[in-house]
Amino acid sequence: MNRFKLVWAFISRKPLTWAFHALALALGVAVVTALMLVQEGLQSRFKRDLADIDLVIGAKGSPLQLVLSSVFALDVPTGNISLSEAERFSKHPLVKRAVPVSLGDNAMGFRIVGTSRIYADIYGGTLAVGAWWTGPMGAVLGSDAARSMKIRVGDSFAGEHGLSMGGEVHKDAAYLVTGILKPTGTVLDRMILTDTESVWKVHEEAHGVEGEGKADAESHAHAEHEGEAHAHETGEPHDAAGPAREVTALLVTYKSVLGAVMIPREVKARPDLQPAVPAIEVARLNRLLGNGGEVLQGFGVGLLVLAGLGFVLTLATAVGQRASQLALLRVLGARPLMLFSLVTIEALLLGLLAGVAGLGLGWTAATFAAQTSVNTGGPVLALPPAGLREVWILGGALAISLVAAIGPAIAAYRTDPARVLKGG
Amino acid sequence: MLEVKDLVAGYGQKRVVRLPSLSVERGACRLLLGPSGSGKSTVLLALAGLATSMAGTVTINGVDLSRLKPADRDRSRGRMIGFIFQDLHLIPGLSALDNVVLSPFAAGVMQDRGRAQSLLEALGLGEKVRQRAERLSRGEAQRVAIARAMLLKPSLILADEPTASLDDTACGVVADLLERAASETGAALVIATHDSRLKARFPLTTNVERLHE
Repeated sequence: MNRFKLVWAFISRKPLTWAFHALALALGVAVVTALMLVQEGLQSRFKRDLADIDLVIGAKGSPLQLVLSSVFALDVPTGNISLSEAERFSKHPLVKRAVPVSLGDNAMGFRIVGTSRIYADIYGGTLAVGAWWTGPMGAVLGSDAARSMKIRVGDSFAGEHGLSMGGEVHKDAAYLVTGILKPTGTVLDRMILTDTESVWKVHEEAHGVEGEGKADAESHAHAEHEGEAHAHETGEPHDAAGPAREVTALLVTYKSVLGAVMIPREVKARPDLQPAVPAIEVARLNRLLGNGGEVLQGFGVGLLVLAGLGFVLTLATAVGQRASQLALLRVLGARPLMLFSLVTIEALLLGLLAGVAGLGLGWTAATFAAQTSVNTGGPVLALPPAGLREVWILGGALAISLVAAIGPAIAAYRTDPARVLKGG
Repeated sequence: MLEVKDLVAGYGQKRVVRLPSLSVERGACRLLLGPSGSGKSTVLLALAGLATSMAGTVTINGVDLSRLKPADRDRSRGRMIGFIFQDLHLIPGLSALDNVVLSPFAAGVMQDRGRAQSLLEALGLGEKVRQRAERLSRGEAQRVAIARAMLLKPSLILADEPTASLDDTACGVVADLLERAASETGAALVIATHDSRLKARFPLTTNVERLHE
């Protein structure tokens, strides 16, 4: 016989009652755990995807939208900028690296990014198999994209118009897979990279632009994809010498801090451009997400408090119902402190069970959320590894149980066997 | 063994019952008589150092429990006194054997599960050792309670209305068991009862006096 065995005998008398309260506590723990994991996963993901990009130059609109679309592959672009403007800033003396990004199409939900090979360098991407493209319509796929599309080097695929599945298929402009990248744990894994020329080529063919010089050639072709900017939707009219070339955005890394002062000012001075600082936009996004997260976290904490109150009431009731058994233990020689410890152990045991179950549920929910996010084209959540966070959460669950046990444990401590057991 | 002189007992400041004198030798039995509500249980609890003794002395093997520090009193009570209640107070969820070893567990002494099992077997419960308390019949549960009181070979066994609501046959069985418990452990046995059937079996009786306060 030991205290745990005795406590378990007490618990087993009312398994459903205790299961209900443990479940309530477990749900609170699960909500808090899942939220912490998702928030940490998102922040970690944003940080990694941000890499060392200091500035995004794009068309006027929401700077957050510009950053989300150009860096995190989450939103639709704000529009396009002319290639000449992009080249102008690429050659700026305060710019260390400038990577053009042209968006507009996808393949099986993975964004096709017209860019240069340097794009992969931002995320330390290296080829796992194959080689880099040597001309237009060659494509290098990120590891996730290649795996999901079940595609190999030498295979071909056609892009669809728009940034999500279901758009018009560019049947006559197939890409040839020349290489597949190693996993990087960044947004690069879900990208299909191609030369900027490819994007221009696909859309020029799709629009039948052959030098007619029709000013409205771009705006009508993809009108069904409302809200989705396109590599040439806002561009200048094609002329007889060929279409005006555009890109969606330019990802800039400064050469020195002076760049942070000068370049955004210069960009703002251009009528069709806007600068967006990713660090600022991510902070803004975190604030936006934070508000929602706080509401949910408040809900989780509320559940924990309710579960704690439930524990108090149930323990208090249980101590009342067990008065004769507790009195018996005193008669048999038990010290009041033993009765105190029995109630405390009971609460801690249930808190531990609920805490472990809650952690399991929280991890399951976060993993499910991460998978759902991937499946629906959202950000890839890199769930952080288990560690001190779980210890703290478990400690919190135990602390709630302990606090809930104090009152009933004191009542047990004060059990007066003479009053409880007196008969005739 | 047990010596009581001019005991006045109660709860808190309330004086409930008086017991002028009581003396029980090792292995002997004394009935504590009085109608329901007369304070017999209070006297038993006072003998065990659980109810307040306002006057008089109680010594068990020469030890006055009321003079001991609370921790020593609890420990001594667990080791020196075996208690049998009318309601038995077995703990459901625990087996018969675990209910018996509850007494050394609570008293903080070594748990001799082998002896506990032997006791249960000797009381005819060899096949019920692992049966949970709530599944035992009233007679079986009564024997488990008696085994629990006997396990630590106490100097004093206190039984509170052990035969109440039992038929004559069961009453005889319980009386036999209690007598056996006292003789086998060498304990003094005090039975608080208003059951006249026990008088024939245990002729030595003492009446308690209810105090009206």
